Amino acid sequence: MSKYLNLKPKVIGRRSSILGALLFAFFIALSAQFGPYNQTQLANVSMLLIAVLSITLLTGASGQISLGQGAIMAVGGYGAALLVVRLGINMWLAFFLAIFISALFGLFLGLAAARLSGPYLAGTTLVMALAIPSIAVRFEGFFSGDVGFSVDYGVPPEWLSNLVGEITIEEWSLYAVLPFTALALIAVLNLSNSRTGRSWRAVRDNEVAAALSGINISRSKVKVFVCASALAGLAGALYGFRGLVAPSVYPTDLSLTLLTAAVIGGLRSIGGAIFGTFVVVYLPDIIEKISGGLEISESIGTHLPALILGALLLLTVILNPRGAAGSLEHLRHHKKH
Amino acid sequence: MESLLTAIFSGTAQGSIYALVSLGLVLVWRGAGVVNFAQMGQAMFTTYIASQMIQNDYSYWSAFVVALAAGGLLGGLVDLGLMRPLTSRKNSQLLNSQSMRNAIPIIASLGILGILKALAGIIWAGEERGFPGPVQPNPISFGSTNLAITSFDLFVIAVVFFTLLLTTIFFTKTGMGLAMRASALNPEVTRLSGIKVSWVRTLGWIISGTASSLAGLLITPRTNLSPNTLDLLLIIGFTAAVVGGLTSLAGAVLGGFILGYVISFVSVYSAPENVFIAILLFLLFALFVRPQGILGSKEVRRV
Amino acid sequence: MLTIKNLVTQYDSIKALDDISFQAKPGVITTVIGANGAGKSTLLRTISGLERPTSGTIQWFDKELTRMSVEAIVRGGITQVPEGHAVISQLSVAENIELGGLFRKRIARGDLAKATTEVYELFPLLYDRRNEPAGSLSGGERQMLAISRALVSRPKLLLLDEPSLGLAPLITAQIIEIINNLCRNTGLTVLLVEQNANTALKVAEHGILLALGKVVADAPARELINDSALRTAYLGY
Ligand SMILES: Nc1ncnc2c1ncn2[C@@H]1O[C@H](COP(=O)(O)OP(=O)(O)OP(=O)(O)O)[C@@H](O)[C@H]1O
Ligand SMILES: [Mg+2]
Repeated sequence: MSKYLNLKPKVIGRRSSILGALLFAFFIALSAQFGPYNQTQLANVSMLLIAVLSITLLTGASGQISLGQGAIMAVGGYGAALLVVRLGINMWLAFFLAIFISALFGLFLGLAAARLSGPYLAGTTLVMALAIPSIAVRFEGFFSGDVGFSVDYGVPPEWLSNLVGEITIEEWSLYAVLPFTALALIAVLNLSNSRTGRSWRAVRDNEVAAALSGINISRSKVKVFVCASALAGLAGALYGFRGLVAPSVYPTDLSLTLLTAAVIGGLRSIGGAIFGTFVVVYLPDIIEKISGGLEISESIGTHLPALILGALLLLTVILNPRGAAGSLEHLRHHKKH
Repeated sequence: MESLLTAIFSGTAQGSIYALVSLGLVLVWRGAGVVNFAQMGQAMFTTYIASQMIQNDYSYWSAFVVALAAGGLLGGLVDLGLMRPLTSRKNSQLLNSQSMRNAIPIIASLGILGILKALAGIIWAGEERGFPGPVQPNPISFGSTNLAITSFDLFVIAVVFFTLLLTTIFFTKTGMGLAMRASALNPEVTRLSGIKVSWVRTLGWIISGTASSLAGLLITPRTNLSPNTLDLLLIIGFTAAVVGGLTSLAGAVLGGFILGYVISFVSVYSAPENVFIAILLFLLFALFVRPQGILGSKEVRRV
Repeated sequence: MLTIKNLVTQYDSIKALDDISFQAKPGVITTVIGANGAGKSTLLRTISGLERPTSGTIQWFDKELTRMSVEAIVRGGITQVPEGHAVISQLSVAENIELGGLFRKRIARGDLAKATTEVYELFPLLYDRRNEPAGSLSGGERQMLAISRALVSRPKLLLLDEPSLGLAPLITAQIIEIINNLCRNTGLTVLLVEQNANTALKVAEHGILLALGKVVADAPARELINDSALRTAYLGY
């Protein structure tokens, strides 16, 4: 099995924490090299990566398909925003509470999802993706409707500025997000290597066989939904605090973008999730760079990224359902022999 | 009293369109084991084609016919070019798990949806535009009182009923209809009867594409047309199909009408903003109270 | 003449058929007997094209079947009645029968009507219940229906997979008798797969004994009936 996951079971436990820490340091070092625009983009990658990782768990490790991860991001985003705006709770605490709120939501979702599979689950989560943002409009008094809540990361604390010197707003939002991304990475690495993770993969590959070997299928599905929702909710909270928590921030397309990132990178690989997230975040930039010299109309410019992402998604499922990480593994495998 | 009539009439007109969408979903699900999430993306695209033709001064009816044909063609292409190779390949090495085999066609249909939306955005600039019906939506009056139904609603209901009648005749009275039912119920026995099941499946995709294209043509005069307009119709159709049992064609139609009434009663008696939540709650309710659907059979549903 | 040479069919790495060769003469019943898991169903499925052999050939007169599609094989006159009363229970009895002849509807409408009348004459019980769903039939009636579905295609070679499965001996005898008559009267060739060796060998002209995917005996049925050593060794009774 480890052949299909880019994870080598034995070394993960030790390695994951080191990897997380290294990545964290790498990002910080990297971010200083970039201008504000790339820092913002990197922050986007770090936030969305957490949500994409939730799909790596849900679909990659456990075989449950969700088209509504964007809606769960909304749950986390609104949770955190409401705590901060209505109750005046500290932002950092609100982020952690948002994890619990969305995990609780995931518990209910999981209890429902444990009875569904394949297209039923996909359809139901898609309905959820459309319905949840509309709740904010419906209960306008509480959720403040289409306008939403303006929230942000505030200003960097003084001790940090004293430590590393002047910090811009863009750098600050990146620094604020990175520890969470590192935590999420470590959590996912350890989870997929734990006994729970192995039972998820057993359920994914063959439910009947898994049940016969003593795995409680429903409990396993509920667990993965709780974990995935916690991740997506955290991502949603971080994503909202870039400036705005509102229905338009969490559209249905967001759910589909996340799935696209996870699939083209490789559903079963964490490296794939990172790669896929970079692709979806940076593709519009790259396309703009390439087509910058060409005279193309505005409508092509705005829709070209979506077109290319759709085509990439199709090509991946047709040619190589294991995604970019899968092909890499394949290459390495071939070189050895 | 008047709002009750409004709810009933608009529920019937809307429900008949939902019935078409749900029928299209069920046809493909029964035949190919795939829920086609791109279905209304296909319909959106063909409605844009019709809209373009009407702008270029073709008559409504020629645009109507071309859109239906394009719907069928698109459905057939999706099957031949994508779903047939995806579902028939046996590379067990790549797809060595049950759940991934189920997930792949779903993901593929989302890819198609994304591509169609982006293409529509590129070709037709993506902003909302109106789409005409063949008749003006004049309110119908009975004596001196205006009924809460327009001549366009009547047109919609008539077209859908005619289509459903044709479909029923096709499925119950023709050999091809029998072949389609048999292929869906037991592909192996059907193949052993000398019937080319994979082509029967393609026909299912074609009919489904045509039916959803029709649904697109009938709904857009009310909603306007944009790349995202028909997303809502897809989830309503999906809910209707689940309510009807996902495996039963009659159930799909019934589910469509039920959804029509649920939605129109919710928007008349509470508020249109509640529609989304109502759909979600109704779907969850249906899934938990009667998971096999109204007319679905328990044994067939693999949940 | 059905000629099978060096046929190998695998499920992943398991050889369900391991280098099988034999012939079935036209116009008579040839029976294939063997214990559970011997590979009998796999043999019929491979002939019908439902499984693809790894190597070997299957010839029906001068036609090579291994590269033909399932549908083409049926249209070429080789029809299978699969294991376990394979009818479509949600369709009516009449629809199940219609399904068997559907592919001939355009090319031979007249003969199709005649074939349908004939199967109803063979099994009058089915005619009485023609509008009921096939799922409401008893096991024996379903087997009759499955055979009727095959017969309306006017097969030249009929592949029967354990028609006696789960049926009372009396009904089995009745069904086998009908098949035997068809052979005699119409020149139909039958490959009859059975676990119940006695019944099968009594009507068959020739018998093939399969064990673990290999042919262990290939002899006239008369000889096999009396070979008790062979039977104890491979069938266990
Ligand atoms: N779809 C399959 N996948 C894997 N192995 C299979 C499959 N079908 C059959 N086999 C195996 O192939 C061998 C032959 O099976 P087959 O069904 O042909 O036997 P049979 O002689 O028809 O038995 P029975 O009398 O029980 O019907 C058995 O070992 C069986 O386990
Ligand atoms: Mg068998």
